Amino acid sequence: MEAKGWISGDESAKEMLGRVLSRARPFLLLPPLHRVPLRPRNVLEIVGPSPSAKTHLLIQAALTCVLPVDWNGVHYGGFDGLAIFIDLDCRFDIFRFSHLLKLRLASGSISEIDREQNDNTKKRSSIAYDEELYTLCMRRFSYVRCYDSFEFLATLKTLHYRIQKEKAYGNCVHMLLIDSIGAFHWIDRASTCLPLRGNNRKSHSIQTVLETVVQEIRKLLLLHPMLAIATKATLFGNRAMNEAKCRNLRKPDTSYSQSGGITALQLPYREYMPSAWQTFVTHRILLRPSDDHLAVSDDQNHSVYFSEWLLPSLSFLDKFIVKEAGVFLVA
Amino acid sequence: MAPLKSLEQEYPILDSNFQSFCASHDIFSVEDLLLHDLYVLAAFAEQESSSERLKQGIAQVLSIIDGQHQPWLNGMELLEDAQRNKHVLSTGCEGIDLLLHGGLRVGQLTELVGPSSSGKTQVCLLAASNVAKKHIGSVVYLDTGNSFSPQRVTQFICQHSDPAIDQAKHTTLRKVMNNISCQSVFDIFTMFDVLHQLEFNLRSQIQGGDCKVQLLIVDSVSSMVTPILGGSGSQGHALMISAGYLLKKLAHEHNVAVLVTNHTVGGDGGISKPALGESWKSIPHVRLLLSRDHGGSICNVSILKHPSMAVGKAARFMIHN
Repeated sequence: MEAKGWISGDESAKEMLGRVLSRARPFLLLPPLHRVPLRPRNVLEIVGPSPSAKTHLLIQAALTCVLPVDWNGVHYGGFDGLAIFIDLDCRFDIFRFSHLLKLRLASGSISEIDREQNDNTKKRSSIAYDEELYTLCMRRFSYVRCYDSFEFLATLKTLHYRIQKEKAYGNCVHMLLIDSIGAFHWIDRASTCLPLRGNNRKSHSIQTVLETVVQEIRKLLLLHPMLAIATKATLFGNRAMNEAKCRNLRKPDTSYSQSGGITALQLPYREYMPSAWQTFVTHRILLRPSDDHLAVSDDQNHSVYFSEWLLPSLSFLDKFIVKEAGVFLVA
Repeated sequence: MAPLKSLEQEYPILDSNFQSFCASHDIFSVEDLLLHDLYVLAAFAEQESSSERLKQGIAQVLSIIDGQHQPWLNGMELLEDAQRNKHVLSTGCEGIDLLLHGGLRVGQLTELVGPSSSGKTQVCLLAASNVAKKHIGSVVYLDTGNSFSPQRVTQFICQHSDPAIDQAKHTTLRKVMNNISCQSVFDIFTMFDVLHQLEFNLRSQIQGGDCKVQLLIVDSVSSMVTPILGGSGSQGHALMISAGYLLKKLAHEHNVAVLVTNHTVGGDGGISKPALGESWKSIPHVRLLLSRDHGGSICNVSILKHPSMAVGKAARFMIHN
């Protein structure tokens, strides 16, 4: 009888899929991150030189996280949760974030207003609701700055209790955003190993710091399923790519830019993070500015950026620009 | 790296038993604890005889660690702080003010990049005189190349004031000039000293003169950093990044606008690019490129980087004599 119990199974495939798919829904983020579905417990690394709109992508992701799915009949399509932003770059501009949020809210309610055909009372009430929703969304955005690696480690170690406290209030954290992970690279690298008491004492070097960071984030993701996105600035310019670019400027050969130039094999940047971090990352996307400019209106000339998925390696490039209302794809 | 011993007085639970338990795991200070897995440590503590007390000690250390990072803020609190404290300082130069929607923002680090004699020092002197005169705030000017000129500052201050009574003008001029504190620094270590001293003064709220420091100018940061960059060691880069973070910390925590200047070097293909390399690019909030028409007095300024404005936006201005 027991052997038969082994063979008969616990649930059918339909039941299993129903159970799994209802819990783990894939995240479809705004372009240019839309090509690969990202789930909780994925770690996405956005790498690119400065400036290449990396922080804008983080802001866009944070907005999608804090907005509700629906609010007063307007569909925002957000994840209705908390976003945690750890700012290692210390350059976050809250005015820009607030402006983008207001534009997102306004665009949702403008379509509402069109549908209601300029009913005055409805218009006023939707503006009032915007204020409440705006405050709610701003409150869902948690921010901390770190001025060195010790502060970063201290933040990560105490983050679990903070998230638990939020859960007690009924708020769920959906995203952990870090800007940018390589910020203290040079400082940690130059930390001298003074002769320390005790043979096995862990010295403060990039290896140990990043191993601890990876360990803490891994534990956090295990306990609280959320999506982790980190930006990384390229610290070393690539001389080979710059020389190739200059050679191509002299030749009237446009095939370089049209084919999207760099394949995954000749990465236009040098990887400087230790292997502990490199193996921890599950997805990687590379952004870089192109030489083209897009004239959106008479006086505004926006520079076009390329985005290329490195992990998983997709072989085409997306082009996007950063307008006042955010990041938009260019066909 | 304060050893755990020194915490015993304030937190008696971190007694010698706890310290010897930590020492057996090669932990001697709080920083060592940051690099260790505390759950694993708690699991080891389970096996000890005084496990309850040790675990309480670990919980105490965790709350000490919680006080070691900056406070958590939500979006509304950040916005309120920014609206209250992070206003905009006009530079006195209309072209730049128009380009930056008002001027230098408090809490941000603005960098002026340009080749020699493109007007960087003139803009710095103009901004210093304007802030000292109009915003009733004091200016700290760190001068690395003996380019600070009190005569020029006097010219800027007396430019727009009406030709009133000489005596009144003299006292106003004196008061305004008292608000600008100029120090010569010729190497990065002196700059660190000066900045740490400034941070200490601001934190303990000792005011030199009756005004709070509103603007910090470093002219130029590249002449101090370039001699230490290069070579195979990473100390030069580490010092540069540390200096950048110290400036950003001063800017944000003490509500100061920071203005630094940088020169240009030849890049690939003969196009000039800002000095100090790739790693410095992530330090300033705003980067402006200055250039002057050959032999003319009209300067061009364009945005290289800005948190909320498009790259490439440009303006022209003229600095009057």
